[in-house]
Amino acid sequence: MVRITGGTVYDPANGVDGLVQNIYIGPDGRIAYIGPDGRSVADAQGSGVRTIDATGMLVFPGGVDVHTHVAGGALNFARGLVPENQRIARKFLHSPELRAGIGGLTPTTFATGYLYAGMGWTTVNEAAVPILSAKHTHEELHDIPIVDKSTLLLMANNELMLDLLEAGEFEQAKSLVGWLLWSSKTFGIKAVNPGGVAAWKWGKNANQLHQPIEGYTSITAAQIITGLARIVDELGLPHPMHLHQNNLGVPGNVASTIETMNMLQGHRAHLAHLQFHAYGGHDWGTMKSEAPAVAAEFLTHKNLTCDVGAVLFGDAVTITADGPWQHLLYELTGRKWGNLDVENETGCGIVPYVYSDHKIVNAVQWAVGLELLLLIDDPWRVYLTTDHPNGGGFWRYPEIIRLLMDVEFRKGEVRKLPPEAQNRITLGEIDRQYTYADVAIVTSAGPARALGLTQKGHLGVGADGDITIYSATPDAEGVMFSYPRYVLKGGQVVVEEGQVRAISEGREFIVHPAFDPGIEEFIRPSFQKVYTMSFENYPTEMTRLRHPHVVPCSR
Amino acid sequence: MGGKVTCTLGEVKNRADFIIYWGGNPAECHPRHFTKYTITQKGKFIPQGRKGRTMITIDIRETPSARAADIALIIKPGKDFELGTTLRALMKGQPVDEARVEEIGLSLDTIKDLVDRMKRAKFGVIFFGMGLSMTRGKHMNSAGILNIAAEMNAFTKFVCMPMRGHGNVTGADVVLRWTTGFPFGVNLSRGYPRFNPGEFSTVDMLVRGDNDATLVLGADPGATMPQPAIDHLTKTPTIVLDPRVTHTSHLARVHFTTAVTGVSAPGTVYRMDEIPFTLRPGLKSPYPTDEEIVNLLIAAVASKPGWRPAPPAQLAGI
Repeated sequence: MVRITGGTVYDPANGVDGLVQNIYIGPDGRIAYIGPDGRSVADAQGSGVRTIDATGMLVFPGGVDVHTHVAGGALNFARGLVPENQRIARKFLHSPELRAGIGGLTPTTFATGYLYAGMGWTTVNEAAVPILSAKHTHEELHDIPIVDKSTLLLMANNELMLDLLEAGEFEQAKSLVGWLLWSSKTFGIKAVNPGGVAAWKWGKNANQLHQPIEGYTSITAAQIITGLARIVDELGLPHPMHLHQNNLGVPGNVASTIETMNMLQGHRAHLAHLQFHAYGGHDWGTMKSEAPAVAAEFLTHKNLTCDVGAVLFGDAVTITADGPWQHLLYELTGRKWGNLDVENETGCGIVPYVYSDHKIVNAVQWAVGLELLLLIDDPWRVYLTTDHPNGGGFWRYPEIIRLLMDVEFRKGEVRKLPPEAQNRITLGEIDRQYTYADVAIVTSAGPARALGLTQKGHLGVGADGDITIYSATPDAEGVMFSYPRYVLKGGQVVVEEGQVRAISEGREFIVHPAFDPGIEEFIRPSFQKVYTMSFENYPTEMTRLRHPHVVPCSR
Repeated sequence: MGGKVTCTLGEVKNRADFIIYWGGNPAECHPRHFTKYTITQKGKFIPQGRKGRTMITIDIRETPSARAADIALIIKPGKDFELGTTLRALMKGQPVDEARVEEIGLSLDTIKDLVDRMKRAKFGVIFFGMGLSMTRGKHMNSAGILNIAAEMNAFTKFVCMPMRGHGNVTGADVVLRWTTGFPFGVNLSRGYPRFNPGEFSTVDMLVRGDNDATLVLGADPGATMPQPAIDHLTKTPTIVLDPRVTHTSHLARVHFTTAVTGVSAPGTVYRMDEIPFTLRPGLKSPYPTDEEIVNLLIAAVASKPGWRPAPPAQLAGI
């Protein structure tokens, strides 16, 4: 039970924009009262009620990361691939309360929880789970303390599903997706380079949206995208189809990005890391920003949301299910390459990368992420991410917030870019500055709404007591939001004065959509033919999740 | 350069038309491997099974696995790295010195033929064993072979996989990575994980006598490690958890008999391609599980007074 008094509250979901409010969090860890009346809060007497005097401080709903990679086979592969990064990364000493670990771009699980909570983020969405290794992902998620978690199932290259869609068996495909979601104890559907990863199993890709996928006779990337979006809508999943489009990172991909938006008309969809899909030019020598065109088109599609996947200069580790792209990146950089093709389902590629501020391509990428965040002037539909760790570590979000809030600082940074890069972007001409309310939307209220988590991202009565309280002055480097004064998770003070003080185990959000149970009799024989385990060993048992929380579907 | 280009075993079953075993003998060491995952399986895109696949072995002698191969290449001991380098050179059309190549024990034509076959494959895979990774050259051999698979992807689909063994060794590697960031050779003595194979690997720690006590779980160093390491296990307190009395049990201060994981104790095992499986025990055991013993040990240690004062509150944590 906690009282927060006198803080300046930014709760855009409830129309509160910088009002001094008092908050009381009840014994169930949810917000029981919020309002100007100090007395109702003061009346909430009793033992164990702690009062935080937030006078002069900023009170935000806890951050929600809509797209990150923090657990599972691919990230764990990356950890093993880059020991040289781990060696220079921040160290976490063990103490009677905290576990030892390593920060950096591929943090250990315990450190991941401490880092997110330490920044004021209280919910994270792990964006790529293969069914075959979902048990592994859940084991890691259990070892990420404090934050609540949700997970997305990799689906757009699942060969059982592609076979059904190609055969025109839509209803069966829908039941299959429902069954797989429940079997893997995941929350939503992720589509990565639809058809391209399946083609990569033969060393090919799917660059054209309307050509048959390698190994198939008729099905195209376009049909997979629209088919899956329809399935997600008809299953009534809380989160729309989460799409990593074809042609990620390729100069000139603006055309297929705009075409994909048009294809999705009539369906909900979330476009992941849109920054990587907003390039013009026709090769690396001519690559330029097409963020204005992408933003303008995006704003006309009210059925879509997106996260930016911004990049920051410095080290990154690219991790994606997009195997063919990673092979290209390996050939471009000559650096290490990890690849893991997962039978019948998906793939994964890993290449360590450095975004350099002298390189024109990287400078354009840096600008595109910020341009999208500024030009898509409906903050409810664009969210802050770095596609961690692809564009940079999640713990660098405050650096991006500073670039969004301070136009003079931003223009100064643009002037440091190579002159040729400045000709290929429009960032220097954008004057918009984020307000505190905008920040609260793109980091919390918006992503929570897109995920369909009604108790997250706001401070209304009944919401989870996930609250981040910032000092109203920037730190010595001029960065706001790096070190919250207090972070509350489920009404418990977990971070105080920059220290993790209490460790809780977060919940895991999952869905149980309605599907025809007869689908199991279809899956079993096909499964035994193409997989290498018994069908009974495939599903993830409910007992593996320590704190599951089933979010209802709308159908 | 470097890295690891791999897949799960089902990809091999469904697609691999070209399979190389290098420095490994699965016919004897992984007896179910050929029939469950690779050579004899009928796959989605290999409907003919064995007839649809070409199998090559590379080893220093004719193993039982070599007898199952279409082409069995016998090379001179300690020449794996040289063969790998020659393959990479030929793959990229670089000149090689024929006289030096002959030191490998194969003719240049044989190696050129192998490269041609690799490039003609639709989906190639190299499995490598301890004959490669634990002989002269060691990790340099592994790095070389992983590079071959990576670079072959400029020509066709190619992957590579180590033949791992010994129960749940892959599981230990997987869990250590997510908890400490490193797969093995981890030292926590400074309060955070450090990694340095050759310095912090078990055998090096024991030979130098760095540790004061040893907990042995699912291993039998008393049977496999060099004498100085065994001597240190004898001199200092050693605790063994094992379903059987092992060589190490005989030199240990304490031996706990534990239930057999997978038979009478539950748990998770990671296959060598890092796919997790739930173990559902069929029998009950009168003995406790490894996990129960370890939890009791942790509780007992936690109840002892600290060997150092608790840090002041402002220094605890991050």
